[in-house]
Amino acid sequence: MKKLLKNDVFQFLSLSAVITLIVYGINAEKGAIVTRTVYNTFIEVLDIVTAVSIFIGLFQVWVKPPTIVKWLGKGSGLKGFILVCTFPILMGGSLFTVFPLLKTLKEKGARQGAIASFITAWGGKAPLLPLETKFLGWPFALVRLGFVIVFAFLMGILMDWVGEKPT
Amino acid sequence: MRAGTIYLLIALVLLGISLLKEKQRTKEAIKATFKIFYVLMPVLVFVFVLMGLIQAYISRETIANLLGQRSGILGILSAEIVGCIALFMPPAVFPFGGYLLKNGASFGSIAGFVFTAILIGITTLPLEFKLLGKRFTIFRNIFTFVLAFFIALLMEVILR
Repeated sequence: MKKLLKNDVFQFLSLSAVITLIVYGINAEKGAIVTRTVYNTFIEVLDIVTAVSIFIGLFQVWVKPPTIVKWLGKGSGLKGFILVCTFPILMGGSLFTVFPLLKTLKEKGARQGAIASFITAWGGKAPLLPLETKFLGWPFALVRLGFVIVFAFLMGILMDWVGEKPT
Repeated sequence: MRAGTIYLLIALVLLGISLLKEKQRTKEAIKATFKIFYVLMPVLVFVFVLMGLIQAYISRETIANLLGQRSGILGILSAEIVGCIALFMPPAVFPFGGYLLKNGASFGSIAGFVFTAILIGITTLPLEFKLLGKRFTIFRNIFTFVLAFFIALLMEVILR
């Protein structure tokens, strides 16, 4: 039981159910709006979320963290910098999964600019393009993706500019 | 054909190619896929409930006033702050953003929200401190917030 209560999946689902029930209790009409929104959106995204999960799953087993670290090296030099600003766009995961990978990169001697570029580029989230285009449209998604690369470049430059230690 | 169906077909083709190349790894990939789906769906359901709450209680005008084109710079800034504290996983960011967009938020606000929701997380700050250092964390988060603001502003100009 304790384990169940600590389970994220259980927490999110029970919280969702409790909120919906409370809304229903206060006002059935508003409750109906909530359940309708949940149902409609759920149906709308089911196939996309399945596809996205497959994309991320495939990427995870075919491109393992050691491979990434090997490819990116220290992220120094122009080639390394460009790679660090673009390649992570293809990756899935959340900040919780990306920070440990970056620690390894740092231990291998990557500069902090390269690490900051990596995080920013990782925010590009190409595996989620099906979701992004569905809800925000292709123009938004493409413009954002273009800016992500610029964003990653600038982050790298700024973070190297402030330096690793206070002077 | 629905866009979702096309993506699903592409995903299945890729899965097929993976299976032809290496059986063991494909098995792992399918396991990973189930795990991702299992973790993702409840979060999405929760976000859909939030969307339903907004639908039920907050009017279109309120959203348009707070995050719409008229809200300008302040709209982008408040959207960024919401992004920083929102506990969304990245995949939940887009449905929520799309929902706000449909209800009168501007492209700039949505861009600001999307950037900070993915790149800045109050809940991940302790981990970032621990793994990458305090100085790095502070500078990275400040620069991300500021740059996201200017890029969001540019995106608003381009997309409006």
